[in-house]
Amino acid sequence: MHLDYRLNEDRETDWSSVTEEDLRYRVALGNLVFHVGDKDFSADWGWIPLIDLAASFAEIVRKLEGGSASETFEFTESDAWVRFEKKGEKVLVSTSYGEGVGQIALHSVSAAVKSFRERLRSELDRKHPQAAHNPAVRKLLGVA
Amino acid sequence: MNLRLIAALFLAFGLLLTVAPTTGYAQVQTSTDQVVLTHSRLQHIIDRHWADSTATGAGKFQAGITVDSLRDMINEAVRNGRARHNTHGRPGTIYEYDFQRQIGTTIDGGPASRLRVVVNNRNEVITAFPF
Repeated sequence: MHLDYRLNEDRETDWSSVTEEDLRYRVALGNLVFHVGDKDFSADWGWIPLIDLAASFAEIVRKLEGGSASETFEFTESDAWVRFEKKGEKVLVSTSYGEGVGQIALHSVSAAVKSFRERLRSELDRKHPQAAHNPAVRKLLGVA
Repeated sequence: MNLRLIAALFLAFGLLLTVAPTTGYAQVQTSTDQVVLTHSRLQHIIDRHWADSTATGAGKFQAGITVDSLRDMINEAVRNGRARHNTHGRPGTIYEYDFQRQIGTTIDGGPASRLRVVVNNRNEVITAFPF
């Protein structure tokens, strides 16, 4: 599983004052790079709130590990979705916008999401040092 | 007569103060029928979901829909639509309503008759788009 992102340039955001709602809908926008096996579920729409996606995927992993059979991520500005369905130790991944169903071990999903969050946090801290001190950023990227 | 009038006014004012706290809940409930669409959120919707928006992967409103008609549609969706909690820790409530007529296009260009409205806990619209 390859889970990555492309963060848009952003010189306007005041990272010291952004709220959780800003991060969920309006800030740190970009593209999703998402491959599961030979299935490409990437979304290059340019408006995907990446911190929200990182936090939502982490919540989905937590629920799957906690016994949930299926979890669906909904994009913020369309009815597009990504679905994770647990089958034993495997997870079936499908989307509303891409063809096919990918299959991957749950622990691999967990590792990919953890890595995604860490890389995003690292890039934001480097590009926007104030982000590291924002409680909403810290909460959603797992350092609260 | 004047004294009676003044006494009546005092009595009415006193009753108002007494009743106001108990009607607060009803007022809050009623206010969910009318959500707030701020200028910045309206601009967000126009930038991303207006007919002439170049944003990809997002539902678009039909050409000819005005800001006033958008406000009406949002209020109708909140008043009559299906409500559910926002997902995976996102704040607020999602309302979805089917207008039974085309109001825009889906992300793949097909006709869209439904409206999704996301409202935060302060009763402000976060976003709204057809699907």
